Amino acid sequence: MNILTKFKDVAARSPWLYRINAGSCNGCDVELATTALIPRWDVERLGCQYCGSPRHADIVLITGPLTRHVRDAALRLFEEIPDPKVTVAVGVCPISGGIFRESYATCAPIDQWFPVDVNVPGCPPRPQAILDGVAKAIAIWRARL
Amino acid sequence: MSTQAALLVSVLAFPGGLFALALGLALKGADRRFAARLQGRVGPPLLQPIYDLVKLGFKRTMVPLTATSQLVFLVTPLVALVSMLYAAALIPVPGLPAPSPQLGNVLVLVYLLAIPGVALMVAGSVSGSTYGAIGFSREMALMLAYEGPIVLVVAAVALRTGAAEGQFAVLSLTEIVRHQQVHGANLFDPVLWPALIAFVFFYPANLGIVPFDIPEAETEVLEGPLVEYSGPALGLFKLMSAVKSVVVLGLGLTLFFPLVPEGPLGLVVWLLEDFVLMLIGVTAVRVGIGRMRIDQAVAFFLKWPLVAAIASLAVVVVV
Ligand code: SF4
Repeated sequence: MNILTKFKDVAARSPWLYRINAGSCNGCDVELATTALIPRWDVERLGCQYCGSPRHADIVLITGPLTRHVRDAALRLFEEIPDPKVTVAVGVCPISGGIFRESYATCAPIDQWFPVDVNVPGCPPRPQAILDGVAKAIAIWRARL
Repeated sequence: MSTQAALLVSVLAFPGGLFALALGLALKGADRRFAARLQGRVGPPLLQPIYDLVKLGFKRTMVPLTATSQLVFLVTPLVALVSMLYAAALIPVPGLPAPSPQLGNVLVLVYLLAIPGVALMVAGSVSGSTYGAIGFSREMALMLAYEGPIVLVVAAVALRTGAAEGQFAVLSLTEIVRHQQVHGANLFDPVLWPALIAFVFFYPANLGIVPFDIPEAETEVLEGPLVEYSGPALGLFKLMSAVKSVVVLGLGLTLFFPLVPEGPLGLVVWLLEDFVLMLIGVTAVRVGIGRMRIDQAVAFFLKWPLVAAIASLAVVVVV
């Protein structure tokens, strides 16, 4: 039992991130892809790594208001990610729709569709906020292992 | 029976097996950390590859519905890893007992080095994923380009050593090392310099490192053949690539520069050489340049390393 807990502590130090762009304006994606990785903030020191395939992912970062066009594909993609996984909604779009809030073409808020664990508000959020969100997601993920 | 037990130990513990695994993971960790430092970042902890493996152990292995054969899908990573553990047992490591001649010679090693590439191809095509299929075709093109030069490089070294020893060709790696300890390293033999150049380019291509990580490019084909693998099966592939980096580094050191002091000090020097070669020859290059396109890579291999290897072989045969 104790050994298992130890192994879980070790495993929690390797969260791999996967980004789903659900119709974002790309602002949040730029923050995720570049700012969070630059020398100043560097998510890799938490053990994170952006992975290309949903099958390798542990923490899912969703951006955008979930447009109707992309909804089914995004849900399918989410199913492809092996458990245990944690969902982080990045930006104000997934929370309320943000600047797209009254649009007929979006399905925000996305927690009707995805089990969102952490919200990172902001338009786009600051990199510190994103790192904070990822750190919170790691804590949740540790409990789910 | 005792020789069989010794063989088993050499494949599972020293110098294959656990030793190669530990060294390979340490090399990977150092590589990631150093790459981050070169970019001015903090970087992951040195033990990060081990954390990753433990994590993968906790995840679920999913077999896609599109997979043509569940069995092949799940067995392929195992085959790749076992072939590399075997190959690691063939590498003479200074300070450790010499590999048993019963295990095979450098020809066996060249064949074993081809297996992970083939396993990746099988993995990519059996997964039934489009990205896997693209990875498969890229891997195959790249393999066709780099397998020729490496065979010629090994042949050149074997013939050169054989000529000096009064035989046709020396295929035993232990013999090649002994020859160089007496007559000086191949690194200083101008006849073999073209072969050395070819080997330097073979190294990143075989290991799938930038600029030749074309089959597994995660930004282009979502890690290609590995796209459908998750959990422990993916971990086996990661282990395989860790051992492979040790095998290819060890092969290079054996063929060109096996001169180290006797005894345990030799082992320390050999390990240091591994790390220095990895950090300077791989990490610095990887951080500094981008990825080639597959057609550029194939054209490049058929132009320079192949020509260099053929030239080296021709000179060896003539001289
Ligand atoms: S939250 Fe703002 S920056 Fe982010 S996707 Fe929505 S509109 Fe773009």
